[in-house]
Amino acid sequence: MSTRITSSMTTRSVLSDLNRISAQQDLTRRQMSSGKQITKPSDDPYGAARAMALRTDLSSVKQHQRNVNEAQSWMSVTSTTLSSITDLAQHARELVVQGSTDTLDQSGRNAIADQIDQLIAGMKQEANATYDGRYVLGGSKTNTPPFDATVTSGGTPNDAYSGDAATQLREIGPGVTLAVNVRGDEVLGGTAGSGGNMLAVLRDVSAHLRSGDTAALGTTDLKAVTGQIDNLLAVQARVGAGMNRLDTASSRLSEVEESTTSMLTNTEDADMAEVITKYSTQQAVYQSALNAGARIIQTSLLDFLH
Amino acid sequence: MASISTFSGIQTSLRGLLAQQRSLDVTSHNIANASTVGYTRQEATLVATRAMNVSAGDMANGGQLGTGVDVQSYRRVRDQFLDLQYRAQNMQLGDQTARSDALQNVELSFAEPGDAGIQNAMDEFFGAWADLSNSADSGAAKQAVIDKARTLSSQINDLQANLAKQRQAAADEYTQTAGAGGQINQISTDLAATLNAIRSAEKTGAQPNDLYDRRDLLLDQLSTMGQVSVTNSAGGGIDVSLGGVTVVDSDDTTGVASVPAGSFPLTYTASPGGKLGALLDMQSATGPIASYQTALATVASTLASSVNGVYNASGTGTDFFTYGTDPTGLPQLAFNEPAVNVANLTGGTGGPADNSIALGISRLQGGAADQTYKQLVTRMGNEVSAIKRGEANAQVLTDNVKDRRDSVSGVSLDEEMTNIIRFQRAYQASARAMSTTDEMLDTLINRAGRVGL
Repeated sequence: MSTRITSSMTTRSVLSDLNRISAQQDLTRRQMSSGKQITKPSDDPYGAARAMALRTDLSSVKQHQRNVNEAQSWMSVTSTTLSSITDLAQHARELVVQGSTDTLDQSGRNAIADQIDQLIAGMKQEANATYDGRYVLGGSKTNTPPFDATVTSGGTPNDAYSGDAATQLREIGPGVTLAVNVRGDEVLGGTAGSGGNMLAVLRDVSAHLRSGDTAALGTTDLKAVTGQIDNLLAVQARVGAGMNRLDTASSRLSEVEESTTSMLTNTEDADMAEVITKYSTQQAVYQSALNAGARIIQTSLLDFLH
Repeated sequence: MASISTFSGIQTSLRGLLAQQRSLDVTSHNIANASTVGYTRQEATLVATRAMNVSAGDMANGGQLGTGVDVQSYRRVRDQFLDLQYRAQNMQLGDQTARSDALQNVELSFAEPGDAGIQNAMDEFFGAWADLSNSADSGAAKQAVIDKARTLSSQINDLQANLAKQRQAAADEYTQTAGAGGQINQISTDLAATLNAIRSAEKTGAQPNDLYDRRDLLLDQLSTMGQVSVTNSAGGGIDVSLGGVTVVDSDDTTGVASVPAGSFPLTYTASPGGKLGALLDMQSATGPIASYQTALATVASTLASSVNGVYNASGTGTDFFTYGTDPTGLPQLAFNEPAVNVANLTGGTGGPADNSIALGISRLQGGAADQTYKQLVTRMGNEVSAIKRGEANAQVLTDNVKDRRDSVSGVSLDEEMTNIIRFQRAYQASARAMSTTDEMLDTLINRAGRVGL
C-alpha cells in the first residue's frame, strides 16, 4: 500500500521543519549577539572545559604580570635608594682621604667629622625610603622605619637596624619566586643580619677624625670604607640582575598572555564572518521553507473543483 | 420462485440513494474533524443487500436479482499495532523532554563559561591573594581578599541552593502530575468514564467510533507519563496500568471501569519510565542533579580545607573558611567572619609584609578545587548535550510513528473531496435510475391499454 499523505502529516512536517530552522537560527543569532560560539557548556563540552582552563591560565598570567610590575616598582625604588647611598658613601670616602692627610689641622678634621656625621644621617634617611608607604629596606617590617634618622647632638647615636631578616618574595611565574628586597642591614649594618657595616665604619672614621688618628684613617678606615662601597655595588648589582630578570619575565609573560588570549579566542569566540554567512544562508532556507509550506498547505483538490 | 414486484426497482434505487447519502454524511464528518486531535477517519462499509431468487427464463434453478446496497458498518480506519509503537516512542519522548528541560535549567544556573560563573569568582579570589602577596600589609588588599572570599562562597552556596531548588521543582512537578487530583488522575477518571460510555453503547450493538478515538487519545496522553499497559479483564472491560500501577480497573464481573481508590498519589519502587520516571530521577538523591550537588560540595570542602591548610597551617589558629551545613541542611561554605577581619587577616606568619601565606594560597589556583569544578562543568555539559541529542532523536522517532499512524488514520482532504464527487455522482445516478423506473411505470399505468381512448 502506498503511503497516504494526510493534511495533518503535511502540516506537522512543515511545522517541524520550520521549527528546526528557527532553532538553528536562534543558535546563530545567539552566537552573533554574544560573539561567542560557546555560550553554554552543552554547546561544546570539551571546548567549554578548554575555555575555562584557558581563562584560569589567562587570569594567572595577568596576575603574574601585575606581580612583576609591582616587583619592578619595588626594585626600582630600591635601586634609586642604593644609588643615593652609594653617592653619599663615595663622598664619605673622599672625606676620609681628605681627613687622612697630616696637612689638615684638628679643627679642619673636626669639620670633616661633622660632615661624616651628616652623611651618616643622610644615609639613614635614604635607607628609610618608602614605596607605596612601605619601607623597602626593612625586611618584612615595612611599617616601621628601619633606621633612626634623627640627628642627636651628643650622646650615643642609635644606629641599630630595626627591620628584620625576612626576604620579600614575589611570584613572577607559576612556582617561580624572586626575592625583591634589599635589607637595611645588608647595606648599612646595625646587627640583625650580615653583610654591610657602613654605619659602624663611618662612626669609626668620625671618631678617628676627632681624635686625629690620621694613620688609622689613611689605612684601615680607607680600606674599610672602600670595602663598604664594594659591598654596596655588589648589592646594587644583585638588584640590577633582579630587574633584568623581571624584564625578561615581563616580556615572556606578555608573549604567553598573547598566545593564551588567541587560544581562548579560537576556542570560545565566534568567527563572525562565518556566523553571519551562516545566518544569511539560514534566513534564505527559512524563507524558502515558509514559501514552500505556504504553497503546500494552501492547495488542495478543493481549489480545482467547481 | 417468487415473482418480482413491479416496484422493486424503485426500492433498489432508494437503497442506493440512502447508502450514498450515508457515505456523504461520513465524508462530512471526516472533513469536519480533519484537524481534531486523535480523530480517526471513518468510512461507510457498503455491502449489497440480500438478493432475491427469481425464475429466469429456462434456467433450472432460476437466478438471483440484486436488491441494492446497504451500509453494513461505519469502519474506523486504525492500526492497533501502530498505536502500541506510538505509545512506546511517546514514553521515550516524555522521558527525554522532562530530563532535557530540567537539565537545561541546571546548565543555565551554572552560568559557565563566562564572567558570572564560579570559575571567574575563584580566579578573582586567588588573584586577590596574589595581590595581597605583593603588599601583604595593605588594608585595601586585605579588604579585597575578604570581598572576593564572600563573593566566591556566596556564589557556590547560591548554586548549591539553586540545584536543590531544581530537584524540588522536579518533585513538585511529579506531585502535580501524579498526585491525587493531578493530571494523571484526571486522565484516568476521564478514561474510566469513556470506557463505561463505550460499554453502554456496545450493549445496544452500536459501534461508538468517536468514543474509541477518545479512549485512544487518553491512552496516548498517558503514554507520555510512563509505561502504559492495557490488559483485558474477565468482565469484558480493560485494565490500564501506568508503570505497573493500575490506574483504571474494570470490574471482573460487571465490567464497569473505575479508578481504584487510593491509587493516587502514584508511588513507584521501580522507575515507571516516561515523564514520571524522569521527574523521579531528577529529584532522586542518586539522580544527576544530586550528583552535581555532591561534586559541588566537594569543590567547596576542598577549597575550604586547602585554603585553611595554608592559612591556618598549624591547625591551632583561626580558619579562613568554614564549611558546614546551613539550616536547611545544604552544604555551606562561608568566610569565617567576624573571627577573620581586615584587622587580623594576615598574609604571612612573620612581619607585617611577610607574604608566605598569601603566596601559598594564590598558588592554589588551578589546584584540586579548581580541577574538581572544571570536571563538574564538563560532565554536566556532556550530559546536557547528550540529553539534547536524545530529545531530538526521540522527537524524530515519535514524529515518524505519528506520520505512519496518520497515514493510515488521518483525514486526507483530497481523498474526501474525491469521495464527495464519487458519492454525489452515485447519488445522482440512483436518482436517475429511480426516475427511469418511474417513467416506465408511468408508461405502464397511464399509457398502456389506452388505444383508441
